[in-house]
Amino acid sequence: MEKVCVIGAGSTKYGKLQDSIIDIALQASVEAIESAGIGPKQIQAGYISNVFGIADKQVHLGPVIMSNLGIPEVPSLSIESACGSGSVSFREAYANVAAGFYDVVLATGIEKVTHTGTEWTTTYFSYCSDFFYEGGAGASFPGLFASMARAYLAEFKATEEDLAMVAVKNHDNGYLNPKAHLRKKITIDDVLNSAVVASPLKLYDCCPFSDGASAVILCSEKFAKAHSKNYIEVIGSGRGGSPAALQGREHITTIPSTKIAAQAAYKMAGITPKDVDFAEVHDCFTIAELVDTEDLGFFEKGKAVQAVREGRTRLNGDISINPSGGLKSKGHPIGATGIGQVVEVFDQLTGKAGERTVKDAKIGLTHNFGATGASCAVHIFKSV
Amino acid sequence: MLSKEEFINNAKVGKILTRKCTKCGHLHLVTTYFCQNCGNAGFENVIIEGKGTVATYTIITVPPEGYEKDVPYAWIVMNVDNSELRISGFMANIKSPVDLPLGIKVKITGYDEHGIIIEKQ
Repeated sequence: MEKVCVIGAGSTKYGKLQDSIIDIALQASVEAIESAGIGPKQIQAGYISNVFGIADKQVHLGPVIMSNLGIPEVPSLSIESACGSGSVSFREAYANVAAGFYDVVLATGIEKVTHTGTEWTTTYFSYCSDFFYEGGAGASFPGLFASMARAYLAEFKATEEDLAMVAVKNHDNGYLNPKAHLRKKITIDDVLNSAVVASPLKLYDCCPFSDGASAVILCSEKFAKAHSKNYIEVIGSGRGGSPAALQGREHITTIPSTKIAAQAAYKMAGITPKDVDFAEVHDCFTIAELVDTEDLGFFEKGKAVQAVREGRTRLNGDISINPSGGLKSKGHPIGATGIGQVVEVFDQLTGKAGERTVKDAKIGLTHNFGATGASCAVHIFKSV
Repeated sequence: MLSKEEFINNAKVGKILTRKCTKCGHLHLVTTYFCQNCGNAGFENVIIEGKGTVATYTIITVPPEGYEKDVPYAWIVMNVDNSELRISGFMANIKSPVDLPLGIKVKITGYDEHGIIIEKQ
């Protein structure tokens, strides 16, 4: 297998955006191409992740994006894997470069949904669940994670205040990120006093519905060495699956796909969780970050709560979790999120993260899943 | 292959239609085609009582389309008695966690446009 590097990254601001789904996809893609210092004609394939293009009257996004980049002849693949679409797409891009099919590829993730309103998004997002048992019985996505939260709080003697601490931490980080959707600091009381969405989760336990696009350029190590001084190396890539419905899992407070993907990625990278300096994890809801950081092996089962209470996951704590602000504060344009995490790792490891820089970081990890973790991808990156 | 319709008809009378692997005995909900434990394709139908205890749940106040008139309501994951199966469904008229302690006994009582209906025993 070829070694694979990321040589360019770009992202729109996340939030409520006015431009069309294609416009924002192009803005991120062009920024990534310019950041890589290449021309579009050097791109040999496109990997395009999106879930609800239908909401902005455009599916089959790949050819439209490639045409607008002036490379209509270049093949593209459109990928949907719910909220994990971006990382799954990144994996396909990675695998094709590693296999030697291509030297240089573009991976762009996009979502444009905020114009549809809360009921449309709540309803359509519920289609990402195992609908017969979950969405079709009234479960919203906050409701599914709320069910995980209730089980977790009971099993590990944690409190709603502990969940709130995750939100406060991620908003502290997102406040330092110019591209974050919810760029404001909040307090524990703000979270506890916000409206209940699906008990025990309140509005500020939930990530926002966001529009946004992120893009990266992947290439072979050979190409990176010849064309760039500013790149990072992909040293681990893993994927995993879980029973689609929560009811089918042995433990409601563990996401099997995360463990499977993480073990594969650590093994490929030849490292252990202790070697990771920072991680962008899938904190669609506050409870998810606690579960994720345990399933990724950063903390023992049930111990993530204590780590959050002690501030160990804060920016420049023992392990910085979600220095970008995470889905919670940076925002969650579902087709873009997994790619946006790679953009953050690229920025962190190439000295472009400004005030939110994780000091002396060499190894960053991304973790992104679809639905309640039915699908998952984990990637590990190293500075060069 | 059994239809979902048959599963639904059983839920309507408070039963769960399951598939028991003829090789290893693992129980599945009827929507599975191969044994999750051993990969075997052979199953026998086993109808079990739709009774159990609350494993976890949420109370929804911001609903998806079609559930606006039901707010607040609970969506529940239930541990099925005498098995390792869990099944989830809809429970009406739950306003506060005080109304539904974890572990409380519940049962399937029907199936309608809300999906599988679960009530307290």
